[in-house]
Amino acid sequence: MINKLLQLVFLLAFSVTGTADAAVKTIVLDGSTTVGPVAKSFATYFTKKYGIRVTVSESGSGNGAKSLINGSCTIAAMSRAMKDAEIAAARKKGVNPVAHVIALDGLAMVVHPANPVRSLSKAQISSIYHGTITNWKDVGGANARIVVIQRESNSGTQDSFKELVTGKSMQITGGAETQSSNGAVKTRVSTTPSAIGFLGLGFVDSSVKLIAVNGVLPSVKTVKNGSYSVSRPLYLYTNGQPSGPVKQFIDLPNTVEGKAIISELGFVNR
Amino acid sequence: MNIGTRKILDRSFTAVGIGSIVVMALALMIVVVPIVYNGIGAVFFTGTVEHRKMLHAEFKRGDSQELSSEVASSNRYRAKIYDMLTGFEAELETMTPEKKAEYQAKYSQVRTALQALLGPLPGDPEPMLTRFKYGQTRWDKAEEKLHDLLFESKWDNSNPNVMSKEYFVSRAIGFEGTSLVRLFPYVKDNFENMLLPEFTFYWGFITDSSVDSHFFGGIWPEIQGTFFLAIGAMLFAFPLGVIAAVYFTEYAKPGFLNSMLRSANSTLAGVPSIVFGMFGLAFFINTMKVSESKSVIAGALTLAIMILPTIIRAAEEAILAVPKTYREASLSLGSTKWNTIATVILPAALPGILTGGVISLGRAAGETAPIIFTAAVSVGSAIGLADVFSSPTPALSWNIYNLASEHEAATQLRHVQYGMVLALVTIVLLLNLSAIVLRARISKKLKC
Repeated sequence: MINKLLQLVFLLAFSVTGTADAAVKTIVLDGSTTVGPVAKSFATYFTKKYGIRVTVSESGSGNGAKSLINGSCTIAAMSRAMKDAEIAAARKKGVNPVAHVIALDGLAMVVHPANPVRSLSKAQISSIYHGTITNWKDVGGANARIVVIQRESNSGTQDSFKELVTGKSMQITGGAETQSSNGAVKTRVSTTPSAIGFLGLGFVDSSVKLIAVNGVLPSVKTVKNGSYSVSRPLYLYTNGQPSGPVKQFIDLPNTVEGKAIISELGFVNR
Repeated sequence: MNIGTRKILDRSFTAVGIGSIVVMALALMIVVVPIVYNGIGAVFFTGTVEHRKMLHAEFKRGDSQELSSEVASSNRYRAKIYDMLTGFEAELETMTPEKKAEYQAKYSQVRTALQALLGPLPGDPEPMLTRFKYGQTRWDKAEEKLHDLLFESKWDNSNPNVMSKEYFVSRAIGFEGTSLVRLFPYVKDNFENMLLPEFTFYWGFITDSSVDSHFFGGIWPEIQGTFFLAIGAMLFAFPLGVIAAVYFTEYAKPGFLNSMLRSANSTLAGVPSIVFGMFGLAFFINTMKVSESKSVIAGALTLAIMILPTIIRAAEEAILAVPKTYREASLSLGSTKWNTIATVILPAALPGILTGGVISLGRAAGETAPIIFTAAVSVGSAIGLADVFSSPTPALSWNIYNLASEHEAATQLRHVQYGMVLALVTIVLLLNLSAIVLRARISKKLKC
């Protein structure tokens, strides 16, 4: 019995020393599901190259900001800039959020491939999300009720969509369906012929069809040269200017390898 | 009631009973059969030479001599394709600009389809992401990709009043009159020679870490994380739960406080698990700061609070089921109350207490909501025992959700999702089975 107790004590002591070691060796990333693919691939690459463990949670931009403010993550991944209220809350807790733009991302409007509609204007999209246009035939499509899909309130993509397309103050129709990640929006749109949703450009594949906004189709080229207007930067936020391994991680988008990862994933290098 | 009616009623009740059992069994089959069938497909499948290349490069597994002869034989067949591509590229240069632009778009689609099938083509830059370094590793997926190469999906929107219908056009027709038209029948005929399908038993699915966010590799970090969380929760909840149950049954005096505590306990057992998750985040991480970020310890504590009420209830029932005569005999021999509890009542109640414990262990292993905010991450390597106080971990329940809904390639990774589901179901089943065995063995011991 005493032996076992001693073993336990040793085990605990060992664990505690282990903790002190691990604190430097782990980078904790939390936040946006849009930044998720980039963050995950960076993490894999970084761990392989430097032997420093990086964990990634995809819980939404809002959650990422909260985690950074509470000090429970090293880097917050966000698909929108921090809001004034969040910055104020951070300052209050002695956290100084510093933004680092890692890539650009087009906010792609997507429909089911069966939908004959090819192009919508921003005004039409706003009316669809406001609920004044409810049938595809009003925008040149088939006679089918539009299934409007939006993101949850925690989502940076949702905030960007409102800011870039509909305007911040517009009320989105109560009939809109809420999905909690880019992947979930894609699955819903690809299985519902009359649905419309919005996704980060990196998530688009052949299961959904891109819609041209104001006549311009989103692509790496049009986002980069600015002709596709519904685009936004993707951020990593740190507490204060980063140093050491965290800085190395933040600087990945400036390296050749980092740029290659970003473009292979379908995101846009700055 | 006469005997005839009674018989009819009796029979109809039997029929209803059997009927409901059949319906239940069918429902269970509908749920379990796809899980088992597809889940086993993650471990046993027809793998291609690309899979063996991947295993050798990422995990240093497989016979390198055999592999290089396989690669050489598959490259002999692939070389012809590459020649055709170079030939067509040369042909493109001789075309008029309009024609060239027209073919260029179609040609780049063909290249993409070939890359998906065979991996990077000669002249492509070495990809950074492992998912693009190899062709299709599974034969079933390769066949789908072959279809994508041979046929182009188009949408017929001739009727403007309804949604378009999908139809397939052979890509070969699009290249009629050029040298590339030979490529399509060639790929189709020599498909097996290029990919060398072979029945594969990939045990590494259980023991490997994932490569490039679950595109390749296995689910060991998730399995390990699940065990850490469930067992950690048990370490906290089991002793606490048994002590609380002893207090409730042996020491507490009936009264207002006692009945309040009991009903609080029953209420907690019915609280949705996401509430415990939020509580865990607010209390253990933000207030108590048990760890700097999400961690196994925070998750285990949250799960412990979630399963505590169940353990208390099970232990209480087990203690109350110990015959009064045991206690009276012990006390009449001059034993103290504590001694009676420790040496007579608890051992007799042990089978019941353990059953409750192991069933809660199964529940802790399967819960997603409490660990979302406190312990689970979507990417992270397997952690050592020393890291449980500081590191979060992937865990089966959360990663199944993440992979099925949030992952950028959720539809391509169905086999991994099913494999994880089967692993989780098996773990919970094994835990419950061990509870039954343990209980049987202990009650047998007690009887002799």
